[in-house]
Amino acid sequence: MASISLSNVHKFYPNGYAAVRDVSLDIKDGEFMILLGPSGCGKSTTLRMIAGLETISKGDLHIGGARMNDIDPADRDVAIVFQNYALYPHMTVIDNLSFGLRLRGVGRAVIDQRVANIADMLGIGELLSRKPAQLSGGQRQRVALGRALVREPKAFLLDEPLSNLDAKLRSAMRTELIKLHRTLGTTIVHVTHDQVEAMTMGERICIMKDGVIVQVGAPMEVYRNPVNTFVAGFLASPPMNLLRSRLSAQSLSLGDTVLALPPALGQAFAAHAEREVIAGMRPEDFHLKADAAASTAPVKVHAVTTEVLGPEVILVATVSGEQGAEIHIRCPRDFRAKPGEIVIFHYDVSQLQLFDPETTYALKRPVQI
Amino acid sequence: MKRIAARVLPHIILCAFSLLILMPLLWILRVSFTDRLTAYKIPPEIGTVGLMNYVEIFARYPFTGWFLNSLIIALGATAIALPLATALAYAFARFNTGGTFLRLGVLASQMLPPIILVLPLFGMFLFAGLMQSHVGLIIAHLTISLPFLSWMLVSFFEGDVARLEEAARVDGATRWQAFRYIAVPVAAPGILAAGLLGFILSWNEFLFALVLSGPSSQTLPVGLAALETHAGVEIAPLAAATVVSLVPVFALLPFLRKHLIKGLSLGALK
Repeated sequence: MASISLSNVHKFYPNGYAAVRDVSLDIKDGEFMILLGPSGCGKSTTLRMIAGLETISKGDLHIGGARMNDIDPADRDVAIVFQNYALYPHMTVIDNLSFGLRLRGVGRAVIDQRVANIADMLGIGELLSRKPAQLSGGQRQRVALGRALVREPKAFLLDEPLSNLDAKLRSAMRTELIKLHRTLGTTIVHVTHDQVEAMTMGERICIMKDGVIVQVGAPMEVYRNPVNTFVAGFLASPPMNLLRSRLSAQSLSLGDTVLALPPALGQAFAAHAEREVIAGMRPEDFHLKADAAASTAPVKVHAVTTEVLGPEVILVATVSGEQGAEIHIRCPRDFRAKPGEIVIFHYDVSQLQLFDPETTYALKRPVQI
Repeated sequence: MKRIAARVLPHIILCAFSLLILMPLLWILRVSFTDRLTAYKIPPEIGTVGLMNYVEIFARYPFTGWFLNSLIIALGATAIALPLATALAYAFARFNTGGTFLRLGVLASQMLPPIILVLPLFGMFLFAGLMQSHVGLIIAHLTISLPFLSWMLVSFFEGDVARLEEAARVDGATRWQAFRYIAVPVAAPGILAAGLLGFILSWNEFLFALVLSGPSSQTLPVGLAALETHAGVEIAPLAAATVVSLVPVFALLPFLRKHLIKGLSLGALK
């Protein structure tokens, strides 16, 4: 077990391309950290630099307090699980599992004991004499995970390990990984582009874009207070609705709707009054009934289409007087609307986020009102 | 009707081409069992059938010697070329050693007509006392098989194997261990196929063997050519000798096919 710390880490390729720029991140001992971002954001490169598979062009990497920049991957005592599993095709499952231990000269008896434990834990006991080609995707996934676990490394690095699995298996493995982390308490760095994985698995999420860190925080913290429109539009499905609007002293104009702001928000945003802003509104903050306790305000929308998901219905609509921009609204499961139908929702204004249209960054507001 | 034609037509064309290639072989096979007079008869006739030509090549000509020389030289050249080519291909694939320049340089030696290499080799071997020796011919054959095999092997070390090695490196393997325990076993079908091709290349090589070998190191192709005596072509023994010289190559073909087809990745990667 160990902490992992990256200080001002850069990765430049020989052609001058900067894949990772000035990444500083402290991953605590035993923490489940998610590196989240779209493809090409540098999250996998960052992970590969931690593993030692990519050199660090600039900056420092410490694992368990020791500087690791120039340490061979074999001596970093971390384990990695790849997206494509990378099982050794010419070895049986048992040889795949024990390969790392055999290289380290661990005794036969200890190896057998550990392999048996892991096989038992992951339910792959019957597969030990098979070769990877004779395994299903889910089984390969387990073996790859087992190969990492059996070495009892300081940290696990997971490079999109669930993205090749079908939806059902993925959700099962997600739960399993969370349980595993709870049992072992080992530091885990999990790279993914899937925001559901990020929200459900991580203790903290580090969101990256274009090689830099955009925001780091606990899942709900990042969800509640996205630092800019990129994070707002990336997390959750459907993501936060982002609408151009105009801010006045105590209100916000969206199309022909005027939302009165609660005094606390009005004060917080006062410096930006009489300006164009981007309003960030979560799909679940629109309600069919007004709530006296919450500060809701009516919003008139024109239904475009509905997506019936079963437990809920997603309404795609345009805000009255605001042509073009579509918003998503989370509705109860029995909600229906015909295309073109006008529906009045009550938006919980206390949840409103505002972003600067030029910098895309959020305007400061009190966390709770 | 159209569907039947679509299936039959390719077969007819393929059969015609196969026959074109098979006919000389079949003709040699027939001649090897007859005598010189029957051999040239048109239309072909079976005539006397016997193993006399096979007996003759071993009795009257140093056929066993040629065969052994070929075997020693082909095996020797392959045994040296294969590990070297494997290492070179790995260096090309993993470290891009020497860049495009070195890769093309290796290939360029194969673009020259072999005759250009023969004279310098002749001079060097004369100087080094390697003329007419097995060692000399093995070295000469390496100039052909080493570039050929390394080019062939590069593709076996590119792509997925690199990912497996990364997994091994994080698992605790040194570069050498990752190469030895992961890259080589995974590329083994390719390495084996390259070895078989290298053997056949050397087995059939004529020009270098003709110029650089001597009585004690004469190989089969050179020996076969010697059957064209001043008394005319000894067509029947020549055919028999050709058939025998083809045996090792034909024996290797099924392995070659099997290993070439066997894919690189056996289900490790999705």
